[in-house]
Amino acid sequence: MTERTLMCEIVTPERIVYTNEVRMVVAPAIDGEVGVLPLHAPLVSALRAGEVRVRYGDGDRDVEWFAVSGGYIQVHEDKVIILADHALAASQIDVERAKQALDHAQTRMAEVDESAKHEVDVDELDRELKWCEVQLEVGRHRS
Amino acid sequence: MANLRDIKKRIGSVQSTRQITRTMEMVATAKIKKAQERIEAARPYAMSMMEVLGNVARFAKAASHPLLLKHDKRERVVVIACTSDRGLAGAFNSNVIRLAEDVSRDEKAAGAQVDFVTVGKKAAGYFRYRGIEPIAAYRDISDKPTFSDAKSIAAHVIPGYSAGEIDAVFIVFNRFKNVAEQRPEIYQLLPIEREVMHEAADDVEAAAVSAEYMFEPSAESVLELLLPTYVETLIYRALMESAASEHGARRTAMKSATDNASEMITTLTRSYNRARQASITQEIAEIVGGAAALED
Repeated sequence: MTERTLMCEIVTPERIVYTNEVRMVVAPAIDGEVGVLPLHAPLVSALRAGEVRVRYGDGDRDVEWFAVSGGYIQVHEDKVIILADHALAASQIDVERAKQALDHAQTRMAEVDESAKHEVDVDELDRELKWCEVQLEVGRHRS
Repeated sequence: MANLRDIKKRIGSVQSTRQITRTMEMVATAKIKKAQERIEAARPYAMSMMEVLGNVARFAKAASHPLLLKHDKRERVVVIACTSDRGLAGAFNSNVIRLAEDVSRDEKAAGAQVDFVTVGKKAAGYFRYRGIEPIAAYRDISDKPTFSDAKSIAAHVIPGYSAGEIDAVFIVFNRFKNVAEQRPEIYQLLPIEREVMHEAADDVEAAAVSAEYMFEPSAESVLELLLPTYVETLIYRALMESAASEHGARRTAMKSATDNASEMITTLTRSYNRARQASITQEIAEIVGGAAALED
């Protein structure tokens, strides 16, 4: 018997990052990870920055890792759509660049703390920081 | 009759101008294609986004989010003007600027203060020259806008609107109709028209998707996060359309410049030949005249 599968799409405003028939999707919802298997109930949830795991086969190694910078997930009739501002497959992550960006963001964050705080900049920086951290985290799963 | 050497010089200079305009035309043609592909690439996200928005709107219909709320007062209006960094694109920039000025005049007449956010050096230059300092001026993004650029622009208006400091936000840009036609357009970003939400909800319902969704954490809080992203995608879309339009407008402008140069070269070559012929005829006449004088 062929197993039921999910159609998984990871989309950013700039491109479609991933689309495939998969067995399971795990995404970082705002208050805890959600795992989606076929026949999941319809769901819409906000995502925080974190890692998305996609299991596309039976083997232990048949897993793809993605870094997402927050966004939304919609599950409906075995179709999973992940909308993210930024999303990168583990293999696409440039670890060196992410490290540099993280350093840069941290320095700027430290500077902001001393001088007068402007709300917009802090939020933006915070997002940038988290995104860099997530990239580094997921970058470890590069095969 | 103009001097032979002068005409030759003119021909040379027009020829090298034509070389340049022809190259720019070809470069623009190639860039239109790229820009169009980028617009295409953004479509899946926008469509999924509308679907999610529609689903959320169905369950949070009564929700009142600050970005949906119309302000009673109209004291401060922000206009985002999308132009290019470079000229030589026909009326591309002046169209946008004129439209932005029209809105600004109307709003001022209604007693509102108008501020600008400019994209592209052209708009910034125009307003600064007139002593108007934009609240934010973006440059070097109009050719290849990214979603982060759109986010950054949105950050100038969304918090202000939510806090009640800004009462309306418009974006002015060239809509890319097709390669040969770009139309300047104005779009109200904020407040978000409620109809947009209702339409999205109706579309989802029309698709006969009557599923009961679970929302995490809740329909309202998803909506709260979704609406700013929606505004960002609108801005992103406008930036990309503007980029494609810029290349389209430049291609048209450069094509007619090339055609004009070719025509000019034809006319100049004709007068060059006529002048050459005239001088030869004159020389012959002189020789004949001289010989005739010797014979006598």
